[in-house]
Amino acid sequence: MESSPRVRRREDRGEVSDSPEPAGAPAALVREVSGLWAEYLGGREIAADDDFFALGGNSLIGIKIIDRMARDYGVELSVRGFYLAQTPARVAELIEQGRTRQ
Amino acid sequence: MRLAPGAVAEVDLSRVDLFDLDLYTSGDPHPIWDVMRTEAPLHHQVLPDGREFWSVTRYDDVCRVLGEHRDFTSERGTVVTHLGVDDVAAGRLLTSTDPPRHTQVRRAIGTALTARVMAPWEDRIRRAIVHFLEPALDGGTFDLAERALRLPAVVTGPLLGIPERDWDDLVQLTAMVTAPSDPHFHHGSDAATLAIAHHELVTYVTDWVARRRAGGGGGDGSLLDHLMRVRLNGSPLTDEEIALDGYSILLGANVTTPHTVSGTVLALVERAEQFAKVQADPSLIPNLVEEGLRWTSPACNFMRYAVDDVRIGGGTVPAGGAVVAWIGSANRDESQFPDPHEFDVTRNAKGHVAFGFGPHYCIGAPLARLTLRVFFSELLRQFGSIELDGEPQHLRSYFIAGMTHLPVVARRRTTP
Repeated sequence: MESSPRVRRREDRGEVSDSPEPAGAPAALVREVSGLWAEYLGGREIAADDDFFALGGNSLIGIKIIDRMARDYGVELSVRGFYLAQTPARVAELIEQGRTRQ
Repeated sequence: MRLAPGAVAEVDLSRVDLFDLDLYTSGDPHPIWDVMRTEAPLHHQVLPDGREFWSVTRYDDVCRVLGEHRDFTSERGTVVTHLGVDDVAAGRLLTSTDPPRHTQVRRAIGTALTARVMAPWEDRIRRAIVHFLEPALDGGTFDLAERALRLPAVVTGPLLGIPERDWDDLVQLTAMVTAPSDPHFHHGSDAATLAIAHHELVTYVTDWVARRRAGGGGGDGSLLDHLMRVRLNGSPLTDEEIALDGYSILLGANVTTPHTVSGTVLALVERAEQFAKVQADPSLIPNLVEEGLRWTSPACNFMRYAVDDVRIGGGTVPAGGAVVAWIGSANRDESQFPDPHEFDVTRNAKGHVAFGFGPHYCIGAPLARLTLRVFFSELLRQFGSIELDGEPQHLRSYFIAGMTHLPVVARRRTTP
């Protein structure tokens, strides 16, 4: 039952880096995303590579976070992209990619 | 999971893992439940991660756990996939709400789903089913289990208010909710699969409601439309309640009926004499449907939490303990159904608990029964014989008992 999302994600993406903070997302943006998540996940400190589900995240919280990020950053994240990314660092990367495309 | 128990091996109840997905994919839980009903009617299991639950497997105990909300609450969640995590939609999602609120909402929604309201839909359902069965009659291999996943959408789509272009997506999403570990439906991890599916289904209903509001004008008489019009003491349901209950109705409609269809067809394929019996006497069809529901029990279990210490099954569930009521086992309890592992279309199976028991009894049961009766009347009218054309494949889930593949070859009926 217990999956290993980090390993699987890296395989999915064909990455080999162990860096918790991918080059694509500026550290400041990662910190902002972590801070934003904290508002919806009980206010505790959240690190760049903390797992959304391990933090107690669920779909009703996810709906609020995705809405909020759309308002704050003008980027409409895909639902699948968000839950498969699963950490502030990866989600920040998605935001960065979304901005570049615009 | 297999629907008829194989050779009985030694069962060591202290080592039984009821959450072992292989037990349902390639194994056979029935011999284990048989022993549990006799030797451990209240069974306790601790999972490797420390979560624990109690199981009841006898018919009477299952009815008690499902029916007595003062002892066994639904407000912390009812689906075993979420064991140990309190339901975030408690008190707002109908299935995770206890009386008295539950009684009011259920009554209001249920008026749109009674047998009397369903009856005028019969012709439309029959046309959809005839169309559904057509490709099976050209002599080639027909994967009934795979195709049946789409059957409820075909049948209930118009009734719910869902346009055809959305059916395939919704069928996929509801399957993800019930079997997040099944390779057919898995995305990344179980948690991600569940979250993606919940999120997209709830958002689907929310957007549906928003579009309907923006469009103004009258309703379309659909079930989702009905949810928007429901009034409780003069107040409508909140948008969140509409979204959650709409989600729940989509789920209930999509993920259960297909497995009763394929499991019952498989039972008939394996028992030519039963097939012949009901074909010779179509008045047995309602009986066949009830026996098929008992036999397949697609909703394999539901969960409750003990409110206080509760005595049941010769033991005590401590206050706050999770209790899993194994419907698949209750429907094979020989105190209720003699020779329980015999599939018999002449049996009176009406007391089965495939639709649950008590306040949360399936709200869609009249529609499911109508669909199944029409399905089997058309199948038996048109098909002379059905044979297996490959191995059935079982759903990787301990919550929903069903199949992902059931390849069959059918021959058109030539006798009147």
